[in-house]
Amino acid sequence: MEGTVNDRIHVCCSDSIELEDVIRFDHEDRTFCIYHTLDGFFATDGYCTHEEQHLEDGIVIDNVIECPLHQGRFDVRTGKALSAPACIDLITYPVSIENNEIYILIDKPHRLSTA
Amino acid sequence: MTARLAPTNATSSGVRLDPKVIKSLRRRKNGPGLVFLLQWGLVLTSTGWLVWSAMGTEWVWLAMLVHGGMLTLPAYALSHETAHGTAYRARWLNETVLWFSSILYMEEPLHRRYTHTNHHTYTWHQNLDSQMPFDLPMTLRIWVLEIAGLSLLRYHIVQLVRMACAQYSPMIRKVVPQDELSRLTRNARIFTLLYALIAAAIFLGHTWLLWFLVIPRLLGGPVMQCFTILQHAEAAVNSPSILDTTRSFDTNWLGRVLYMNMNYHVEHHLYPNVPFFSLPVLGHEVASQIPEPDPGLWRTNLELVSVVLRRSWGKNTRARTIRQAPQMITEGVVTPISKATM
Repeated sequence: MEGTVNDRIHVCCSDSIELEDVIRFDHEDRTFCIYHTLDGFFATDGYCTHEEQHLEDGIVIDNVIECPLHQGRFDVRTGKALSAPACIDLITYPVSIENNEIYILIDKPHRLSTA
Repeated sequence: MTARLAPTNATSSGVRLDPKVIKSLRRRKNGPGLVFLLQWGLVLTSTGWLVWSAMGTEWVWLAMLVHGGMLTLPAYALSHETAHGTAYRARWLNETVLWFSSILYMEEPLHRRYTHTNHHTYTWHQNLDSQMPFDLPMTLRIWVLEIAGLSLLRYHIVQLVRMACAQYSPMIRKVVPQDELSRLTRNARIFTLLYALIAAAIFLGHTWLLWFLVIPRLLGGPVMQCFTILQHAEAAVNSPSILDTTRSFDTNWLGRVLYMNMNYHVEHHLYPNVPFFSLPVLGHEVASQIPEPDPGLWRTNLELVSVVLRRSWGKNTRARTIRQAPQMITEGVVTPISKATM
């Protein structure tokens, strides 16, 4: 079934995330990271795939989030793991912006690979 | 089984800052690190000229000591900063300089990065922190070996050879991801080959390597240790608070430049992702929440020597002018508290 308006989860106002920044977003028992880059807004799972470390304290440079613990890096647009020790891609979620508000489709997860 | 402790950082130390302030301080730049490289190159050219000018006189040893200090301390600082990934915004630049500086510092880059990450996660925690270089409390013998740079040099050489032979200590297996071990070995072999080539070149007559690189690097070890030994010496073991386990100290502009502001060591451990050039501002921001820095480099080192000497004589070791954990105040026979992990 295609995602409908009702599947969307409201995150925050798009002005709440500065350019090249990341915020944490918790919904029920799940946790996500929402990024603002020059290419737009993106959403991924909150935790690094290497170790249990939330990416909210990571550094966003261009379209890359760097984990604060071991500096594993991911492309936030695709979730692709870019450098060791991160080997497993992050799960990403579609993001939409309406009336300056950010929504994510948490029922539409996408992972590039399962390596 | 390893205890699962909360990481030692600002949160575990009860230090709080406005997240917006921290985010702005964590911003990375290429400029300050490139300026540092330029300054370092100019300084090394000058001190190298000093060694050249003093050749054939007894002053050459003093010149090599100065050159060695200028070579070794910044190499340590740059290797440390790039291991954190905070020296440069451009990843390729950061990783290139990590390799270059780690060759001079004599530690394989991945080993440098992962053991140091672990050191931040479990700062000064017995059997957990992979960068506890000496037994505690520090005795005179340990201090001599440490300040001379011999303990560290021995550790680095032994680890390098073992890693080149694909032999990993239990600590390395614990802190380095399994997938990275083969790269660790590849890098250790490259390092070993490089050092062997330098030795062969000297043997074949390129003695300038001895005067401008090898001997200064060895003489620079104690200069570097004068700075690094202060980071955690006489601090508390097994405390979740960085304020107990770590020391900041005052130093002059030259010390701050050569050490890349690592005299702000408490601040660095509270927020390890803040680049070196932002540490003075961070220090200002958290000043009201952390202890005063200890007095200058020499005064802090002299007090440490005094403590260690009194410990070796069985006298009371209460420090008068530097911060010291109650655990480290000894009198009479010294009971070991914790073993080195390096």
